Amino acid sequence: MNLLVQTHVAQAARDVIAAWPVESFIAVNPLAAHESTRFEDISEPGVALTLTVPQYRQAFAAGRITRADLRSAVRERLSEVAGFAPVDTGIEYRSAADVLVDDMLACHHPEPVDDAEPGDALERDVVKWVAAYVDPDPRWQMPGRQHGLYAAWRRLAIHDPHLPRTARHRLSLLPAHAGPALEACLHALEIRDADTVGVLRAELRALPGWTSYLKWRSEHTGDVDLSDYLALRLALRVILDLPTVLAPSPETSPATIDDLWERAELLAGPAGRRDDVAAIAHVLALHPRIDHVFTWQAAYEGHYRAALLDGLERATAVPASADVQVVMCIDPRSEGVRRHLEADPTVETFGFAGFFGVPIRFQSFGGRGAVDSLPALLRPRHAVTETPAAPQRARKRIRGLRALDAAAHALHTTENATATPFALAEATGWFYGLSSLSRTVTPTLHRTVAERWRNLVAPPTPTEVTIADAFTLEERVTLAEAGLRMMGLAQFARLVVLTGHGSTSTNNIFQSALDCGACGGNPGAVNARAAAAIFNDRGVRERLAARGLAIPADTVFVAALHDTVADTIEVLDPHLVPASHTAAVSAFTARATQVADQLVRERAADLPGADPGQSLHRLRARAHDWAEVYPELGLAGNAAMIVGPREMTRGIDLGRRVFLHSYREEVDPTGDALQSILTAPLIVAQWINHQYYFSALNPDTLGAGTKTIHNAIGGIGVLSGHSGDLRRGLPWQSVGVGGTLLHEPLRLSVLVQAPLGRIGRIVSDNQVLRNLCDNDWITLTARADAHAAWHRYTPYGWSRISTPTLETETP
Amino acid sequence: MHGMTAMTKVEIIVPARDAPGMRDLIAAAGATGYTSVPGVSGIGHHGQHCGALLFNDVDTLTMLITVLPHERAGELIAAVRALLDGRSGVMFVTDTYVSRPDYFQ
Repeated sequence: MNLLVQTHVAQAARDVIAAWPVESFIAVNPLAAHESTRFEDISEPGVALTLTVPQYRQAFAAGRITRADLRSAVRERLSEVAGFAPVDTGIEYRSAADVLVDDMLACHHPEPVDDAEPGDALERDVVKWVAAYVDPDPRWQMPGRQHGLYAAWRRLAIHDPHLPRTARHRLSLLPAHAGPALEACLHALEIRDADTVGVLRAELRALPGWTSYLKWRSEHTGDVDLSDYLALRLALRVILDLPTVLAPSPETSPATIDDLWERAELLAGPAGRRDDVAAIAHVLALHPRIDHVFTWQAAYEGHYRAALLDGLERATAVPASADVQVVMCIDPRSEGVRRHLEADPTVETFGFAGFFGVPIRFQSFGGRGAVDSLPALLRPRHAVTETPAAPQRARKRIRGLRALDAAAHALHTTENATATPFALAEATGWFYGLSSLSRTVTPTLHRTVAERWRNLVAPPTPTEVTIADAFTLEERVTLAEAGLRMMGLAQFARLVVLTGHGSTSTNNIFQSALDCGACGGNPGAVNARAAAAIFNDRGVRERLAARGLAIPADTVFVAALHDTVADTIEVLDPHLVPASHTAAVSAFTARATQVADQLVRERAADLPGADPGQSLHRLRARAHDWAEVYPELGLAGNAAMIVGPREMTRGIDLGRRVFLHSYREEVDPTGDALQSILTAPLIVAQWINHQYYFSALNPDTLGAGTKTIHNAIGGIGVLSGHSGDLRRGLPWQSVGVGGTLLHEPLRLSVLVQAPLGRIGRIVSDNQVLRNLCDNDWITLTARADAHAAWHRYTPYGWSRISTPTLETETP
Repeated sequence: MHGMTAMTKVEIIVPARDAPGMRDLIAAAGATGYTSVPGVSGIGHHGQHCGALLFNDVDTLTMLITVLPHERAGELIAAVRALLDGRSGVMFVTDTYVSRPDYFQ
């Protein structure tokens, strides 16, 4: 392909954010390409950046936003307000901030214009062929697939009876390969060089879900790229005589007319004198009507942040020593477990990214394929497998797995052959009928029986992860030191439980969205096991001691898994627990069982269709119910991240809304650990936060819509109905119920306890952090220590904020 | 110069997430290879850039270095300029000399 055309493709595609397949769902900020732009300056057709003014006013009426919040937001966003003298409104003198708040409450806002992009004329043909090409498990493999998407499509489409005869003839005259075909199509469509990028960008925006997925695939699988896709689209336009469109430029959006005088007259009232109206208008000119929603949003977030800071004043002390230390993922769902566990003063908890600092590609014993259990920010470099601890049982398991695999394969083949499905239905229909009935009526029993049957055929065997093969000793020591310094763990209990998390649900294609984001949308069990093995490694401990991090000889690390639906915590690899610690592990398990019951009931209060009064069995049965669309609420409600010692938050109910990362500056003399926290877990938390934010505000464009009409395409993604764009983002059932939002769309409030100079230096050194903080994608608030004042990060330096007090003023 | 062969050296520093696109362009321009240096640090138009990060391969800078004959360099330089337009990143072009020209043809 001509280098210039390739450059045009790259230019057109650079704002496309890759979307992970739904089977390994990774939350991303769908507008990440705009992070170098101020949040409120983004212009994306069909995308809402905030709630609407009527929704904010509803929150105001309910006391969720107060007048004090609005005043603070106005002062924060419009520093010029401070220079204004009180304004004579004709009735009384009011501060400029109050005048602006009055205006926000009174002024009329027209209904937002629906600027959704028009439908795609090529949708039917493009979706049909692209889906056939990328389907990982098709009935028939697409012939010629090895030549790439465009070439394979062209070979088949020449014979496609759905295309008119003339179109097929024209297609046969186009080049056989994507690069030359793209050039030929641009020429045939008479696209000028200056317009090429705009035309290609418009083609990529026509089906943004498919485009985002293909970008991911080009970066990870490499069997398709966007040049192929664009060649196919433009070839269709050429052969069907369809005109191209040019992507609109944000600059061409019509300016909004601001009715400043009318707004001022409204505030001055019918008796208002012309001078009063003019004085009010002078103030209102600071705050155009189109900016109101962003001030409302700042007030909405400010109210939550003030309440959070206020709550931190009530934190309780951490016990001087603990019998058990539990390290859990920063995921907000861990907060509830930690709070309940700490009701026992002998338990101390820590927060750390759920991959426990051990990024791996994992292949289970006897398993097929491998999973990348690591944050999406990293490329896998260490392959970890399992070694069976009992060879005899391992052989039996392998035989059983082979038998199950063969049976599944035979069933699949029989289902998909031409004639055999009829015979299959005749022979086994009664069995599947009964099975479906039991699955519907008694889902837990069905699950138990299926599991027992599977365990009978292929009995589980104890294994150990193979860290020594995957990491050199120096790598293990580096990871262990980084982990301890990042979570501020320098005093050790006899038992340290590294607890990953995973979710259990049935018939849920978005299952991986409920698993651990730091583990690439997988359960965190294997990372916890690998980390425990590293921390228990004698060689690692010797070198850590030389670096000032001495782990006592009688301290044992064990791995565990938190099931976020049942809230149970299962200790993994019990065969590796030394006899000296089995009693401590048993005591922890008993405590965790009580906590699980308390937390399931607590969560039931928020879960649609659940009631805290229901039996625990019924509440937990949601995990196995194939009709349940709300097995749990995932990370709905996430709003903040706190980086600091547990003393900041212990004893406070944070409502499972906060990412909690432990950190102690005294364990991190160089500041490297804080840098790692702010450049990795914070980035992942921000991705998750914005995924929820935009899915809640834009369920039709940046969210996946309702689950009830989803059709799955392999493990790639879902369509709403039988065709159309591949849906992006989270389903409506992750962020709302009925017409009501379950998730409050709040941008992430980050609170850090560490020296301000250190934080500032880290932000200054990193372009992504600068973008996020300077452009209002997140807010950063910090204090040097528990007794210091809170400061807010601004592009001009730290700004001290007054002692937080949550004003209870209502409308 | 001591029997060395004159060629063009192109050095590009871009955010790591933009590096694959640049590598594709270098390959498409007919360069026979390149050197990739991840996690470069320094100060530039957009401020400071720290070096490699422990748990983030994406939000750092990558430097790509390639050498190619003069006649093939022009097209690559024009393409990289276009791709850098409005984005973070810089390109340096210098004359250089190589001892094994056949490696770069």
